[in-house]
Amino acid sequence: MATQEIPNLKSLLASRRGGPSRGRGRGRSGPGASHEDKEAMRDNAIRNTDQDAAGSRVSCVELGYLHDPYARLFASQPSTRRLPLLNRGTYVRTSAIDHLVDKFLTTYPDSPKQIVSLGAGTDTRFFRLQDGYPESRIVYHEVDFAVNTVAKLASIRKHPQLHTKLGAIEPPRTPNEASYYSPTYNVHALDLRSLASSSDGVPIPELPNLDPSIPTLLLSEMCLTYLQPSTVSSILHIFLTRYIAVPTPAALVLYEPVLPNDAFGRTMISNLSTRNISLPTLNAYPELSDQRARLKGYGFVDGYKVADTALIWREWVPKAEKDRVAGLEMLDELEELELLLRHYCVAWAWRDGGAEGVFSKAWADVQE
Amino acid sequence: MSIGGSDLDRAITQLRACRPIPENQVRELCHKARELLIEEGNVVGVDAPVTICGDIHGQFHDLMELFRVGGDVPDTNYLFMGDFVDRGFYSLESFLLLLCLKVRYPDRITLIRGNHESRQITTVYGFYDECLRKYGSANVWRHCCEVFDYLALGALVTGAATTLEPSEGPIAENINIDNLPDSDAEIEIETLNANGEIMYRYARNSDSQSTSAASQANSNPASSSPIAPTPSRTGAAGTGATSSANGSNKNDTGAILCVHGGLSPLIDSIDKIRLLDRKQEVPHEGAMCDLLWSDPDEIEGWGLSPRGAGFLFGADIVKCFNHKNDLSLIARAHQLVMEGFKEMFDSTIVTVWSAPNYCYRCGNVAAILELGEDGSNAGFVRRSNGERGGGGGGWVLGSNVGPEGNPTAENRRLSSVLGDSMQRARDGPGRRYRVFEAAPQDSRGMPAKKPAADYFL
Ligand SMILES: C[S@@+](CC[C@H](N)C(=O)[O-])C[C@H]1O[C@@H](n2cnc3c(N)ncnc32)[C@H](O)[C@@H]1O
Repeated sequence: MATQEIPNLKSLLASRRGGPSRGRGRGRSGPGASHEDKEAMRDNAIRNTDQDAAGSRVSCVELGYLHDPYARLFASQPSTRRLPLLNRGTYVRTSAIDHLVDKFLTTYPDSPKQIVSLGAGTDTRFFRLQDGYPESRIVYHEVDFAVNTVAKLASIRKHPQLHTKLGAIEPPRTPNEASYYSPTYNVHALDLRSLASSSDGVPIPELPNLDPSIPTLLLSEMCLTYLQPSTVSSILHIFLTRYIAVPTPAALVLYEPVLPNDAFGRTMISNLSTRNISLPTLNAYPELSDQRARLKGYGFVDGYKVADTALIWREWVPKAEKDRVAGLEMLDELEELELLLRHYCVAWAWRDGGAEGVFSKAWADVQE
Repeated sequence: MSIGGSDLDRAITQLRACRPIPENQVRELCHKARELLIEEGNVVGVDAPVTICGDIHGQFHDLMELFRVGGDVPDTNYLFMGDFVDRGFYSLESFLLLLCLKVRYPDRITLIRGNHESRQITTVYGFYDECLRKYGSANVWRHCCEVFDYLALGALVTGAATTLEPSEGPIAENINIDNLPDSDAEIEIETLNANGEIMYRYARNSDSQSTSAASQANSNPASSSPIAPTPSRTGAAGTGATSSANGSNKNDTGAILCVHGGLSPLIDSIDKIRLLDRKQEVPHEGAMCDLLWSDPDEIEGWGLSPRGAGFLFGADIVKCFNHKNDLSLIARAHQLVMEGFKEMFDSTIVTVWSAPNYCYRCGNVAAILELGEDGSNAGFVRRSNGERGGGGGGWVLGSNVGPEGNPTAENRRLSSVLGDSMQRARDGPGRRYRVFEAAPQDSRGMPAKKPAADYFL
């Protein structure tokens, strides 16, 4: 656990005496809390998970696991060094998704491509892609709650390293802007759940610059897992039929936990519940095979694959890179690392007509 | 002020309540502890009976649970195999309490060094930050690190009985009594839960004992009931080895080596451990480092450790080492095992893990290993309660010892080296594992502070 969370004796005493509870979003709902209060508390907890992700990223960057000059600029809290096994896990998570994105961008490199990051939070991928793939024609979209998009846009406005990446486009101006649109980078303030209630025929919220006709990768890095499985299906249905017209090639990359039923999984669920966090898709799709079936069910008929992050570390990361990463910190928690990595997976699935389709080509050799 | 006598008892009381003692007392305590530890050899001699414990990692409330399950100091003789600090939130209280107990009852508790008892590791894994937080300076951390340098590297347990006095405890739920060996059988392994209820029993030399009880317990994945790994006895049947062990040589169990991590390619005898200069920070390589960092693994010979320190070693290495040093078992810690303990290589080595729900995240159970005292000098009497058929009362451990100097004992020892890899040189000691879960409450009845374990969110 992060050192910041080692309790201070004084504050511990204070909280035992009924002092104010510390930490954001960790308060438990009191007996008198109304249903709405509880809902609000849960939403708040979920929005706040973004700073966990940001903090983990910063820790990895500062120790040399990841190269990401932007992570620091979005983190709202002073950096705390995470434990080596968490850094390793964050490294695998980020580099696995980077790998799939890289394959996508470098297949038919001249054709335009679109990425939609659901629950993007403070993800820095857009900025990193600008550096890594200056020639590619990417339209990047991020979706998140307004609270998070406002904060993100404020950070972008504040740091020239960020807003200069937006090219000739005017940087965001007003303080409380929640959305931002441009031909390359778009931030949409939207509660994804609102899509689930719009049935066929009912107009859906406009997502400016979202191109219905270019190959699109939907990304959910620890986002859809916080939603009910039926809500997730509805959201994806809207994206895959209405925002992106059939048969435009489309794909989904997921990163989320699996194996809820063993001792580690049960402990994870109970620990997170004390933070008001629940992970509905974890129970709905416990095994890797369930994830595969789920992806197929969304209509990704041309390919649906999944690998846990333990396999990804073993099989995807080249030997030299493994040695480099393993040399960064002494890691004395191998059994725990294996447990932890087996409880998270990356799933990737696509529809593109197969064979010469961009995703079929891009991901043909990615091992599951 | 000096810490001794009643001061020491006061410090113990305070630490048992999970309250740190003042800095000047820590300094004094560490000074006293060093004076004591400097007298110990690199390999401390310990007489059975003894209760062997694995990693604690600052999980103070679970350490209290361990004492509840295993008995208190000084009533129970303890041997802790290191990794007292780091990861958990109460490394300071846990380590200082153990140290106080060591100073107060030096002959009833043995502490050996784990790889986390190191300056370098504690700055990464939490103990340093914890000291800084709790005292506002690194002084206490520095005092503790000086003690670390004096901790022994291993312990050698002698006088352990080869069979257990079967415990009287009731049978745990879900365990079919018919699957347990008869009460007059010689019990080699027994597993008890935190309430002292019998979960598993294994009779020496029985090839068809309670494996069904084991698989039954195993078949319920939701239950956290751990089971003893069924020791394999392949190849033993019908050989001289098996027949010789038939209750006739209770007293010939070899010694048990306890070490935090494992063996080293630079160490082929216990005497070589004794020759090391241990009073230093744990080096990055070399014999001392290996003893604290290595792991047994299903390989042949030696392998590189993915931990970046120490080595992996296979069954052949263990069997050879045990034979050469007249050991019946190596007990070590260092690796998380979900069931609390894990015997490997035909029970020539066991991992004992004593931090339940490690890091408040892993969901594992913990275990401690009790070794009984050799019946010939103890004369434990098992009172029969007449519960189950069989021999009736008055079964005295060690009372039916066969002819001394059983000739086949020597053969067995030879056969283990001469290729029959499934043979052990010595009968292992009788082993009672007590398995326990994380403490639900802290000592004052408050819910134990369950810190938010980090996940990927
Ligand atoms: C754990 S963070 C992950 C952030 C980012 N994808 C990453 O991996 O670094 C989860 C994000 O999903 C967002 N999120 C969760 N539910 C959402 C919803 N219903 N609508 C929009 N965003 C949502 C949260 O606000 C949060 O920023």
